[in-house]
Amino acid sequence: MLLLTPVEETVLSHTFAHGLMRAGLALAEMTGHEIIVAAPDVRRCSPADVIAMAGGPDKVVVGIYLGIGGSLSGHALLMLPPDGARRLARILLEGVVVPAGDGAPPGDPFVLDPLEISALQEVGNVTISAFLNELGMHLHEPVLPSVPQAVVEMAGAILDAVLVDLSLEANQVLAARAAFIEGYDAIEGTLLVLPRPESLGALLEALGVDGQ
Amino acid sequence: MSSTAVVAPRAGVTQLLVAGIGEMVISKDPKTTLVAYGLGSCVALAAWDPDTTVGGLAHFMLPAGPPGGPPVKFVEGGLQAFLEAFTRHGGRPGQARLKAAGGAAMLSIMSGGLEIGRRNAEAVAAGLAALGLTLHARDLGGTAGRTVQLEVGTGRLLVKSVSTVTTL
Repeated sequence: MLLLTPVEETVLSHTFAHGLMRAGLALAEMTGHEIIVAAPDVRRCSPADVIAMAGGPDKVVVGIYLGIGGSLSGHALLMLPPDGARRLARILLEGVVVPAGDGAPPGDPFVLDPLEISALQEVGNVTISAFLNELGMHLHEPVLPSVPQAVVEMAGAILDAVLVDLSLEANQVLAARAAFIEGYDAIEGTLLVLPRPESLGALLEALGVDGQ
Repeated sequence: MSSTAVVAPRAGVTQLLVAGIGEMVISKDPKTTLVAYGLGSCVALAAWDPDTTVGGLAHFMLPAGPPGGPPVKFVEGGLQAFLEAFTRHGGRPGQARLKAAGGAAMLSIMSGGLEIGRRNAEAVAAGLAALGLTLHARDLGGTAGRTVQLEVGTGRLLVKSVSTVTTL
């Protein structure tokens, strides 16, 4: 497995942190709440490591997926625990609409209503797009995200679908823990950027590190 | 670490053997359960011989691809390798209960991703047919992820999704 050098790790962590700071500002503007998006560490790691970060392969998560095109090609995925995802959705929906009941059928914590799904897709869109814009500035060309899709699924199954498209380039996953902090409430998730191999080299080069 | 795990019988111990992506696990131990977690578009093939009670589970990723890498990453080549390993450890593919699960279309917006699950499922069925074998049961396709568990002692294959559990 290729590991990030300390210099690469520092540069990528800084880029993630800066991009996610922008994401927090965008979410705060949307909601009227002060929301901080923090990414304390960035790693290049194996898919197994990523799944472990998310709680295990059959741990149910809310996954918000965006495809990446333009100057950087690959996939981006934000994974959140279902209860945290619901709290985050409620923050976004506050003042916009009052969901009926608690938004989920009794006894089924893994069902989100369409409004919650829509809100979470917007969270993923804003978060990932802010980060991609940051990368695009370094690449001097726009990075183009697709529309988002949110699913409530096993972490392993979501990642499996993405890895299959990359044909299991197992050492090419950039992962960061991402914490959405609103007041005293912190919702921890995992942000993944999975560039195609040729894109990762170009990205590291654009960031001023050689990618070796 | 070997990607093919084989265990001999051990009394009184229940254990899980996990088939990661592109891996296979085989056991003769009736107390063992073989597991493939979080199948999206991947397909798991379970083989269980009711007479010798040998069980095997393969976790295929793609229909075909270049040689190298994990032994059952691709159905092409990997299916043969799985059945040969099953045979070496006392299983008989011709008498075995063959069951498959997975092959979902997880992310509808991902270009090309929808096809891979279907193609994986078709490749397994076609590969078995070429060897004169057929699936006894299947839970393939759809849009839900699955975790599968083969109980070596009974041959039961549990297929779990976020909201359901079925037995094949």
